[in-house]
Amino acid sequence: MTIHESIVDGLVDVRTHKLRTFLQTLGVILGVASLVAVQGLADSGRRQATRFFSEFGGLTKLFVSNRPSKETKVTARQLASDGLTWDDVQAIKRDVPWAKLVDPIVQLELIVRYGSFQRSGEISGATPDYPAVYRFYPARGRFLTEDDMASGSRVTVLGDTAARKYFGNEDPIGKTLYFDNVGFTVVGVMMRKEFYFGEDSHNALEWMNEMTFVPLTTVYSRFTGDERKRVNYVNVVVDKVANNAKAAEAIKTVLYRRHGGVLDFEVHNRSERLKQQQEQSRMFDVVFLVTGIVSLIVGGIVIMNIMLASFQERIREVGIRKAIGAKGTDIAVQFLVESILVTSIGGAAGLVLGVGFARAITALLGQPAVITPQMAAIGVAASVLTGLVFGLYPAVKAARLNPVDALRYE
Amino acid sequence: MAGLATPTSASRSMILLDGVHKVYDAGENAVYALRGIDLEIGPGEYIALMGPSGSGKSTLMHILGCLDVPTEGEYFLDGTPVSGMSSRALAGIRNRKIGFVFQSFNLLPRATILRNAELPMLYAGVGRRERRERALAALERVGLADRAKALPTQLSGGQKQRVAIARALVNDPPIVLADEPTGNLDSKTGHEILAIFDGLQREGHTVLLVTHDSAIATHAHRIVRMVDGLIGNGDADASEAPS
Repeated sequence: MTIHESIVDGLVDVRTHKLRTFLQTLGVILGVASLVAVQGLADSGRRQATRFFSEFGGLTKLFVSNRPSKETKVTARQLASDGLTWDDVQAIKRDVPWAKLVDPIVQLELIVRYGSFQRSGEISGATPDYPAVYRFYPARGRFLTEDDMASGSRVTVLGDTAARKYFGNEDPIGKTLYFDNVGFTVVGVMMRKEFYFGEDSHNALEWMNEMTFVPLTTVYSRFTGDERKRVNYVNVVVDKVANNAKAAEAIKTVLYRRHGGVLDFEVHNRSERLKQQQEQSRMFDVVFLVTGIVSLIVGGIVIMNIMLASFQERIREVGIRKAIGAKGTDIAVQFLVESILVTSIGGAAGLVLGVGFARAITALLGQPAVITPQMAAIGVAASVLTGLVFGLYPAVKAARLNPVDALRYE
Repeated sequence: MAGLATPTSASRSMILLDGVHKVYDAGENAVYALRGIDLEIGPGEYIALMGPSGSGKSTLMHILGCLDVPTEGEYFLDGTPVSGMSSRALAGIRNRKIGFVFQSFNLLPRATILRNAELPMLYAGVGRRERRERALAALERVGLADRAKALPTQLSGGQKQRVAIARALVNDPPIVLADEPTGNLDSKTGHEILAIFDGLQREGHTVLLVTHDSAIATHAHRIVRMVDGLIGNGDADASEAPS
């Protein structure tokens, strides 16, 4: 007997025993729903984190920052070190082959004045590479150029929020802002950056909109007069994610040597961080996964139980089928097909329910729901496997029935 | 009769039993159901197997129908020795060589009449279209083609037995084994069913009726009587059978 014909007979059986089928499928429905929901939530979380990072530089961006020593006793060597400097930046450019862009930033507080507006504000000294590093470009006007760097020119570029703060609805381009009484011409306004982790949460990228840029060289020449040209942090864009770890190591080596063997800096690897986050959230995944598997096992046992309980009423049927020529394998296949049919029905319902779960939870977290083909694949695989595993014992038992005894069974 | 089991005689017989024993529960509680049966049935014969309950006729019927195998002795079916066959091979023999008709009809209750009639062909691997045609032809022959979509519960006893006969015939087996086929039917319906068996025999099927009713046995050409696991000396023409 073909599998197709077994399905035909199995469907008849399922139709005539609706309540039994429902009870059998309940565990599978919950199990598959749980597995599918886990997959959906994990996917959604991963995509969200990756998307967030890509909004300001992607996963190939390494972030190098100064690190104050944790030790209370500061050694002479540590005191002698300047931390990150402009020369470190040049050394990284020269000695780290995977570094595509190296972009230092200096931050300082200055008094910002425009007309009657006057307030202390944070100014960032940046290089022309900044937009490429952060994928953050001017919406109007231009960003800082190599010429600005060379001449230490008094030009500034504003983030969207900063521009509104100083100029309201006026067009800021060409206007003059005073930083500590030094006049700077506004040459550009950046595009607005927004990212929301949840519908009610704040804009996670608002800090970018609040930035005020001036050429890095101008910071040294006009404000700090810093001979050692110290910087607050350095962004290094690596050519590809696979080289992140190698590049991070190379940067550490270069800096460690240049800082006289003092570890006063830190290299943050975003892909590492993402991995760590995922590992943390894996705990949560595992709980769901275990719940799903336990539900499937319970569902499978229920199926087996009900199959065995209804086995008695089917003994005669097996006898009849055997009398007219069914082989043991025909009977086994028929029983297996029926249990897989039942679990597949449960799996389909579970898939729908699981997608519903994932949607509901992501909606609650304010994240976009992600429905992937993997979810469907997991649902189908889990339900078929359950049917196969737990249908096996009743199937083998039925296949082994002696036809004479089975026919006599009342 | 031990000398019967030679290839030449085996090839002439449809059924040939040589010293068949069947013992259940070997050991202290052993039940000797068959105690040395020798039986030869030629192609196209019409046989009635009679005997009181406990005489072993059911056991013999099961062995003849390849539902069970002898503990000892040889069984040649249409020239093929089946005593030592695997259960898988026996299933094939039952499917192709034997049509069963039972006292309690043994239809699948949830399957339609047509599906019931198709069942032996499912296990024979017959294609969908041919299956349908042959099942409908067999139902036509027993006068039930118009009830093809009905369920067994919607039929009378006589109709159920007709479906069972149609099912027994779809693979055109040389042997039809009927175990008390009229036992659950009134006498008028019983006669109609027996008339069908008479027709089958005329068409060349070997027909074996198991019955305890002498009147029914008169339809057969030969009566085999069983007593205590042996064939009695009443192996005679049906015409001589007492009423």
